[in-house]
Amino acid sequence: MLRLPKFEVEKPTTVDETVALLSEKTGDVMIIAGGTDLMPNMKHELFTPKKLVSLAGVSALFGIREEAGALVIGAMTPLDQVANHPLVAERAPALAQAAGLVAGPQLRRMGTLGGNVMLDTRCQWYNQTYFWRKSLGFCLKKDGSACHVIEGGSKCVAAASNDTAPALMSLDAKLTFANADGQRELLLDDLWKSDGIFNKKVPPSDLLTEIRLPQREVKHLGAYGKLRDRGSIDFPLFGVAVRIDIDANDVVVDAEAVSVALQARPTRIRKFGESLVGTTLGSPEFEKGVQAAASLGHKQCRPMPNVPGDHEYRHAMVPVYLKRTILAAAAGAGPVHAV
Amino acid sequence: MRVLELKINGDRVEVAAPDHWTLLEVLRYRLGLTGSKQGCDKGDCGACTVLVDGKPELSCLKLAALSEGAEITTIEGLLPLHLQAGGTGPDPVQDAFDRCGALQCGFCQPGMMLSARALLNECHSPSQAEIKKALSGNLCRCTGYTQIIEAVELAIAERVGAKNS
Amino acid sequence: MSARDNHGTAPPWGDEFQVIGKRHRKVDGLAKATGQAVYTDDIALPGMLHAKTLRSPHAHARILSIDTTRAEALPGVHAVITGASMPIKYGVIPWTPDENALATDRVRFIGDEVAAVAAVDEDTANAAIELIDVEYEPLYSYTDPNESLERHDPAIHEGNKHGNVSKHVELEFGDVEGALDGADVVVENDFFFHGSTHTAIEPHCAVAQWSQDTSAEGLLTVWSSTQISHYVHRALARVLELPETRIRVIQPNLGGAFGGKSDPFSLEFCVAKLSMLTGRPVKMLWTREEIFYAHRGRHPMHMHYRSGATSDGKLVGSDAKILIDGGSYSSFGLVTTYYSGQLLTGPVDIPNYRFNSTRVFTNKPPCGPKRGHGSVQPRFAFEIQLDELACALDIDPIDFRRKNWQGEHTKTVNGQRITSNGFMTCLDEAERESQWKERRGKLADGRGLGVAGSMYISGTNYPIYPNDMPQAGIQIKVDRSGLVTIFTGGNDIGQGSNSVVAYLVAEELGVEVADVRVVAADTDLCPVDLGAYSSRVTFMVGNAAIDAARKLRKQVVESVAKHWEIAEAGIRMGGGVVLDLADAERTMGVREAFQLAEADHDTLGSTGSYNTPELGGDYRGGTIGASPAYSFTAHVAEVTVDRETGRITCDEVWVAHDCGRALNPMLVAGQMEGSVYMGVAEALLEEHDVNRFGLHSGPSLLDYRIPTTLDTPKINSLIVESVDPEGPYGAKEAGEGPLHSVIPAISNAVYDAVGIRLRHLPFTPAKVLRALAELESDQTVEQS
Ligand SMILES: Cc1cc2nc3c(=O)[nH]c(=O)nc-3n(C[C@H](O)[C@H](O)[C@H](O)COP(=O)(O)OP(=O)(O)OC[C@H]3O[C@@H](n4cnc5c(N)ncnc54)[C@H](O)[C@@H]3O)c2cc1C
Ligand code: SF4
Ligand code: FES
Ligand code: FES
Repeated sequence: MLRLPKFEVEKPTTVDETVALLSEKTGDVMIIAGGTDLMPNMKHELFTPKKLVSLAGVSALFGIREEAGALVIGAMTPLDQVANHPLVAERAPALAQAAGLVAGPQLRRMGTLGGNVMLDTRCQWYNQTYFWRKSLGFCLKKDGSACHVIEGGSKCVAAASNDTAPALMSLDAKLTFANADGQRELLLDDLWKSDGIFNKKVPPSDLLTEIRLPQREVKHLGAYGKLRDRGSIDFPLFGVAVRIDIDANDVVVDAEAVSVALQARPTRIRKFGESLVGTTLGSPEFEKGVQAAASLGHKQCRPMPNVPGDHEYRHAMVPVYLKRTILAAAAGAGPVHAV
Repeated sequence: MRVLELKINGDRVEVAAPDHWTLLEVLRYRLGLTGSKQGCDKGDCGACTVLVDGKPELSCLKLAALSEGAEITTIEGLLPLHLQAGGTGPDPVQDAFDRCGALQCGFCQPGMMLSARALLNECHSPSQAEIKKALSGNLCRCTGYTQIIEAVELAIAERVGAKNS
Repeated sequence: MSARDNHGTAPPWGDEFQVIGKRHRKVDGLAKATGQAVYTDDIALPGMLHAKTLRSPHAHARILSIDTTRAEALPGVHAVITGASMPIKYGVIPWTPDENALATDRVRFIGDEVAAVAAVDEDTANAAIELIDVEYEPLYSYTDPNESLERHDPAIHEGNKHGNVSKHVELEFGDVEGALDGADVVVENDFFFHGSTHTAIEPHCAVAQWSQDTSAEGLLTVWSSTQISHYVHRALARVLELPETRIRVIQPNLGGAFGGKSDPFSLEFCVAKLSMLTGRPVKMLWTREEIFYAHRGRHPMHMHYRSGATSDGKLVGSDAKILIDGGSYSSFGLVTTYYSGQLLTGPVDIPNYRFNSTRVFTNKPPCGPKRGHGSVQPRFAFEIQLDELACALDIDPIDFRRKNWQGEHTKTVNGQRITSNGFMTCLDEAERESQWKERRGKLADGRGLGVAGSMYISGTNYPIYPNDMPQAGIQIKVDRSGLVTIFTGGNDIGQGSNSVVAYLVAEELGVEVADVRVVAADTDLCPVDLGAYSSRVTFMVGNAAIDAARKLRKQVVESVAKHWEIAEAGIRMGGGVVLDLADAERTMGVREAFQLAEADHDTLGSTGSYNTPELGGDYRGGTIGASPAYSFTAHVAEVTVDRETGRITCDEVWVAHDCGRALNPMLVAGQMEGSVYMGVAEALLEEHDVNRFGLHSGPSLLDYRIPTTLDTPKINSLIVESVDPEGPYGAKEAGEGPLHSVIPAISNAVYDAVGIRLRHLPFTPAKVLRALAELESDQTVEQS
């Protein structure tokens, strides 16, 4: 078997207990939610914590609810619930679609939304066994000193590969973190930093408790597009979430697109809305706007050979998926996916 | 090392296991329940699928230490549970898989049949598209899935038939 | 059965088969369905140790020293072995023994086995592996087969007479140059077939137990996930220097193989040696990653083909030059090199044919036999060329193949005997069911249909090591209880060979399938069979089973006839009952009949065997690829090409396969579906390769993409039964043939859909986009 390194498991039942355990000795303690990212990574000896703090018994972290107009999702809510919950489908279609395209059915059952947000970045030179990485001579992100994606590069560009992150960002999600000093709220956009080694500004000892999607003033449409080789299981080779705000006459009043699986952090496509705002869905102006938005994406998104597959092809797919995802959102359809 | 109390196939069992053992390892190498298979040990293939409170999960990524409290069903449980529920012979899913030739090498099939069983528990008569989706986390290298899908459809058709008659 | 006695194809009792040709459960189906079936890793023996392998981190290096003292000192470690413990070389082909259980002086790819440890548990064994100190001197390493062809220093196998060339074969039949000179159309192109691997879902595993018995050497039992127990048995004896009588090899239930479990592997020798050293049972279970290194998968082939036809649609000749990337060891490579040329000469007649194939060593995981061994790659190139010729001549590609069909009961240009040949029916069925005539060329833009055909062997008369003994043997015990027990050395790898022998014997002896037990693949209990490869099991073991059962049947019928005082011809057996044809009232159960026979003839038992007739061309290598019967296949594939993403979706496949006779149509369909699935995956998704560091590019079931339910086309299996005169009741093979031509059929369908010829596998969306762009720029140039 592919053995796990030795560790001990703690099973707190409250947030306070959890936070106390996490503050014990940073670095040697890690959070385990569904474990679907952490377990394979630990089997690859990418992490070797002495202690795992399980969130499975912390009931306060589960569930989907409405709170003062906002949609609040507990960090431990399994992805299949996020994907199938009527409130999510109605209020955040891109999120429902993205959650429904994560991995395969069993993993969506086990994996959590919080774990997906906090997912480690991925790279073909990194998500490998210890033997493989040792034969390579390791890399910057773990145990080594060189990067194999950008030769001579001094910065890790492993890719943020969480499908739900762009959908959540497109909906201006806010995260609540807890640590020994208390709680704080953070805009998801502000979580990230462009460092593939650890792409979050919040230390790993902070507990994500819930994800809040603020009430939206205007009606919106949304969709998620995901490029991958197979119809199931695979991580994204490129992902994009689109949000289009419309008024009562189907005129676009705002729009956002967020991409993932390109670089260390999910990124907003800048000035994306400008091409679409003011056009009426389905009109020739809208169609033209879609083309313009797609080329904008093509210019801004520059895939690197970090995740497997041909990065030039991934680049070529940016405008195609962007266009299709906008059109799917406009049609109230989606997700955009090969199968 | 801790003593775990697990609920497996209707039994309450106590088993000592180190914290870094997965549920799959405890099932196979501590409890002798070798029906759950290992094809990758890291979440890629679905051979280790078991039902946790009726839903398919991957036992190679689930720590045994975090499996207490839930009802776990392995492939060994299907036939006895079917008998307990008043049925005769194997679970209709197992029987249909055999009658349709879906069991070639059989190695992927414990996981496959449990995913199918969970689908049938959840949904009365799923469509072919729903079947494919529900089984899309279980890799099979022998069958090309055709006879597997036929088997699930047969189990559905017979259940629907039994209900109507 | 030898070549001399043939049991015929007719039902043994009357006009109709009672068991054969019908759907039956498999004999082990419910054991597998309920989780009871025991696979190798399910075995746990008292006091069992766990073993792990240390592997080379270098693609090519000399081993300067190995120091195991730190590992040995680790508490819980029971034994550490290195190449020095088992220096004798072996190889599945006796002429090319170039492998060691553990490297002795040199490592040849990243992942090559260097040392092994047995310890109380896996964690301890893993920790010990890290404590073994190996000093390497890295050597120049080869990843490009073209380079291995030219450069011989350093040689990957020192002492190899031909530098880095593993095998070269050049054969010409007829006058190829003359024929192509006289052709009206000649097509000439480069093709590339990439590497792919088996990925049976069960990882390789072996358990050994060395026990004391009355002999000085003791007795070694090895349970292994092998598909060829017999060769493992022989190789263990050679490497461990034990008499074969001291070794017992058992193959438990096997979780898929596809050729990937054909070679003897390092782990079998290691557990055996470690058990002998420690006196305890030892298990080694390879991780998924290690299986990608063990590999023995499809050989990448760089192929150049030139084929020509006359304007009336007759193929006149074909010329092939093939460079085969063998990876680091020989494995079955000698056979692969021959197969790359020898198996192309049907069902389409090639009047003049030449091939020039060279297999070279590279510092990559060793290649070997994968489903359709050696012949899937040339078939890919050739069937695309047939499509090109048909297009150039404006002939429907199905008609083009019809025009050039070789016929039945004939000989191929390279001297292979063809018996039954149902290819024309295959074409008819595939054409009709796919509505080829109605739909081809009339589908919406981006959608297309393509056809291709192929043939494959049903076993080969080349027994790997030369000998005159039977290729397959069977023993049957018939009991006064009414139970029939069959002992077969055949390896059931999921294809259902145990079920097939049970059906055949049940048919012959007139018993219920449920009253037949099969004891298989245990070298102590079962007669020798050469194993599950080359699609030989149904044909050879099946014939041996009929042979053995028929002898018993004779005894039983004789006794019943005597008892009833009627002629033997007046007796019929079936479904567990014996009937008097003349007297409907008179019946007895087979149990009673067996008891009569046992009283008359003493304890009932029989043996049966099969050996191939003299076959093959009269030239060096002429017997390699010579088969007692060939299966034939036609595929029609329907594809959709997304012009924007370049993605090809194979929507539906019609596979018509001549399996001789479908002994159980459900199992035949299963083999056809599994073959098509695997071929489609090779065409569109999978790629086994190393990266620029010589490291496997993704040794996991996540990065090596095998299709899920959502990536598999609708598959329509059309069974064609040509009834072969020498097959068991006319059966041939179904496990490998139906893979071949689906790959060129997809390429041909893509041409029909969007006008591009894909000659380089796999057909990734990026390649499709590039080809579409080239086509567009060509057209623009033409227009301007
Ligand atoms: C075969 C396979 C395919 C996959 N495919 C996809 C895919 O297509 N798309 C995709 O997005 N993912 C994929 N995944 C990854 C994973 O399944 C999902 O991302 C899942 O959502 C992770 O959630 P989890 O609860 O299992 O996280 P865990 O593994 O438990 O945790 C992941 C990380 O987040 C941290 N963490 C978890 N919860 C919290 C919290 N509440 N507060 C702070 N830190 C926390 C953990 O410490 C850990 O570092 C795949 C995994 C596998 C094995
Ligand atoms: S981008 Fe990849 S190779 Fe480069 S440092 Fe990061 S993980 Fe390592
Ligand atoms: S063994 Fe668990 S998913 Fe493969
Ligand atoms: S039956 Fe062999 S892997 Fe599915």
